[in-house]
Amino acid sequence: MRTLKLIPTNFILIQIILFFLNSTLNAQVLSKKEKDKLYLIHPGQERIRKIKRTLSRPFVNFVGNELYLMSSLDLSKQNINDNGISSPFNYIYNSVNSNTFKAGYSAGFRVDGIYKQKHSYSLIFALNRITTGNKYLNKYSAAPFLEDFTHFKADNQFTTINVAMHYRKLLPINDMNKFKFYAIAGPSLDFKISNTSNDNLVAGSGKRALINADFGAEFDNNGYYIIFIHYKLGENIKYSSAQVVLNRFEIGMTIKASDLF
Amino acid sequence: MKKILIILSTIMIIIIFNSCNKDIANTKLDLIQNMIVNKTWYLDYSIIGNKTQSYVGQSTYFITYLRNRTTKDSDGLSGIFSIVENNGKFILIVNTKTFNGNNLSYSNTIESVGDMKMIQSYISTGKTEKTMLYFTSK
Repeated sequence: MRTLKLIPTNFILIQIILFFLNSTLNAQVLSKKEKDKLYLIHPGQERIRKIKRTLSRPFVNFVGNELYLMSSLDLSKQNINDNGISSPFNYIYNSVNSNTFKAGYSAGFRVDGIYKQKHSYSLIFALNRITTGNKYLNKYSAAPFLEDFTHFKADNQFTTINVAMHYRKLLPINDMNKFKFYAIAGPSLDFKISNTSNDNLVAGSGKRALINADFGAEFDNNGYYIIFIHYKLGENIKYSSAQVVLNRFEIGMTIKASDLF
Repeated sequence: MKKILIILSTIMIIIIFNSCNKDIANTKLDLIQNMIVNKTWYLDYSIIGNKTQSYVGQSTYFITYLRNRTTKDSDGLSGIFSIVENNGKFILIVNTKTFNGNNLSYSNTIESVGDMKMIQSYISTGKTEKTMLYFTSK
């Protein structure tokens, strides 16, 4: 009676074990297509893997990279020295000269990281819409006209793509575990992507690339966001008859991309 | 990697140094044309030698240049105009007809031009002194 009772129990147990074994075996069975895949060489994937390896090799020392989104208010003014060019054009000085900073804006992203576990840096890519005030250093008269004139009119609204590489120096201010203050410095390059006006072109000042020296300060709230103020002093890379020096203040904020998406 | 960097640097340098190849002479002509057309220019001053004559606040000579290259002045002369470059100088050539149907052409050198002010000059036949004309657009 006892034996009879045990048999069904054992039978059930064996059945259960067999069921699991069977299902395990089923899971390990690969389809023909999957089997083929294992043996096939994927030249595309291999190439991508190779490129990734090649690209990452020189950047092994750049660690802790964090992507931030950034936007800022830009206050700009340009100093224009026409170097006494002779030109058949006249612009009434008081209508083109506005010795003030005017507001524009920029938006983009930046990558913050540490080089060789020691040097903090940020790499910035931004799109700027610049509106500038203009300070013309030279003015001319054409008596008997009473007004003063300039012979060159620089564009005061343009769009640029900006690439900047900043070195960030941690400043020993306050409790550095909570908030961090940085001083930054580094070069940046602006490339004008908007159309250049004929007024700007005629004096041979249609150069699109500007090189800047950047300085500034940044307040980092534990990596969640950064508030910054940058000063940029820029000039055309290639010599042009009229020298234009662009002064800019960028006041803005960055937010960690991973916190947003 | 080196190859990629070299290619990228080369592209950047080419973009930076060849960013503007627009023809400057034609640009100047376009700009002058845009500055003078669709406006009426009033003669404020004329200078012959050292003698300055002011017409400010008086009934004065005026001329209108239109975008379709036609012109009409206060003397009743109407016709066409063109601007050409000659040895770095910009010459305004005006071909008009008088009331009587006679052709009258003249050319003035554009010494300076802007959105508001224009200075033209010419030397009358048989004279050596240059006549300067100072116009303001209104």
